[in-house]
Amino acid sequence: MSTDAAARLEGAGRPRGTGLLGRIRDALLSNTGARITSYVFGLALWQLLGALYERVPGPVEVVQFLIEEIERGGVWDNFLLTAERFFAGLGIAFVAGVALGLAMGMWAFARALLKDTLTVGLAIPAIIWALLTALWFGFAWKAPVLTVALTAMPFIAVNVLQGVEATPRELLRMSKAFGVPVQRRIRQLVLPFVMDYVFTGLRFGIIVGWNGVLLSEWFASTEGVGWRTRYWYDANNFDGFVAWIVLFVGFIVIFDRAVLVPIQARVFRWRTTVAMR
Amino acid sequence: MADAAGMADAAVPRRGLRVPGARWRQAGAVVLGWAVFFGFWEFASQTLFNPFLLPGPLDVAEAIGDIVSSGNVVEHFRASLTKIFLGFALGVALGVPIGFLMGRSRYWKAFFHDPVMVAGSVPGITYAVLALVIFGIGPEGPLIAVALISMPYIALNVAAGLEGIDSSLMMMSRAFGRSRRDVFRHVLVPSITPFVFAGVRLSFALAWKVEALTEVFGSSSGIGFMIRRSYQLFSVVDVLAWTALFVIFMLLLERFVLLRLERHLFRWRPKEAPS
Repeated sequence: MSTDAAARLEGAGRPRGTGLLGRIRDALLSNTGARITSYVFGLALWQLLGALYERVPGPVEVVQFLIEEIERGGVWDNFLLTAERFFAGLGIAFVAGVALGLAMGMWAFARALLKDTLTVGLAIPAIIWALLTALWFGFAWKAPVLTVALTAMPFIAVNVLQGVEATPRELLRMSKAFGVPVQRRIRQLVLPFVMDYVFTGLRFGIIVGWNGVLLSEWFASTEGVGWRTRYWYDANNFDGFVAWIVLFVGFIVIFDRAVLVPIQARVFRWRTTVAMR
Repeated sequence: MADAAGMADAAVPRRGLRVPGARWRQAGAVVLGWAVFFGFWEFASQTLFNPFLLPGPLDVAEAIGDIVSSGNVVEHFRASLTKIFLGFALGVALGVPIGFLMGRSRYWKAFFHDPVMVAGSVPGITYAVLALVIFGIGPEGPLIAVALISMPYIALNVAAGLEGIDSSLMMMSRAFGRSRRDVFRHVLVPSITPFVFAGVRLSFALAWKVEALTEVFGSSSGIGFMIRRSYQLFSVVDVLAWTALFVIFMLLLERFVLLRLERHLFRWRPKEAPS
């Protein structure tokens, strides 16, 4: 086989360029090239927005501010505190949501009883919980923790419920008929099936819960990421304000991509891709 | 989000023998569920908190009655709905071409993959506060927020729809010499419409919430604006009343309007078709 034909095969139908210009064109058109172009494009768009609206700082100002803020020591403490509240609330939501979802999935009575309450819970926005807990508990740790728990819980519960519904009925009925105890039915049959759904629910819960903790801190806190963002907003310092937005958006995107997605891939590595969907 | 819509299908009893009266027992459990919900609410209002911090269901019902009879409800819901629909239209107008590019070309798929993923996991508060800073309290803020939050879902769904197109159908159209316009009109559009709809329904609850959130942060009309005003007046009963109206309205729209419209649009499809 000639090298030309081999190269054509490798390039999946696209003839590969020769010479310097051709190679540059190939690099630009590759997947990595496309991604890099998209980031450059995004930065340019941000710069443009900064030029159009005087209240929106460009990327350079924001990075400068971030360096100052880190030197001042304002970043780490606030993040740690918010993370503590966030994970406490998420823990509550996870335990309650899984229990609720399992109960509703396994007993028709529980499902009929709680179905509508769960639908209402899904429809209530995080901002409502943030405002209500602020009115109820004032500026204490309870407000953000409960906001996260109440916002994330229905999403976890509804995904667990869907997971239980996806478990094969025949197996469940058979194990029931053969008198397998409830704990073993849950541990050895339902849980392995539900895990995928639990993960999806957890990811949803993390995204909505993170939003919840920020909202709650914005309205009812004197420390934490949400408070700090509001602090700069109230001070009319838009460099600081946008810098904190970049921080908390960056945190959740990186957490999702670098922690949750790999864990999910690892937990389900025994599955073939065909079985996934 | 989409799960809220899925709940309706989940309600179909599939298990156990058809005992006579099973349907009645089911209905009884639903009624009992609401009784438990309101009972717990009343209990929490009387003992866990106090009626000022957490008004009971009857007080809230009374406040809802006041809001409805004052005509406020029509005015503010109309304001919010207009922003939602315009925002959605913009989201579809942005999301469909992006999804189209993503579904048809490897390069654009790689190009848009990260931005769409990021846009899908950005917390709603980001859109709300940025809209406030950029647009002030005008109606553009919520509108843009709705467009940005719905766009990734619509784009991803359109892309998935295009990738799922029967390639033999495309080849046959080409073999029979159909023009590009014909292929577009009779093959591509019908196959992506259900996916656009799935994207709209998936992001509807999300968009509705972000719209209200943006109004809480900065607006001069709409439900979110009224919720914020009640909060500032420390009136828990009004916060709850507006929330209840919000939830009722959202569920009604999702169940009756969107679901009906979807059924109407796809009435030509056989019943077994996966929706």
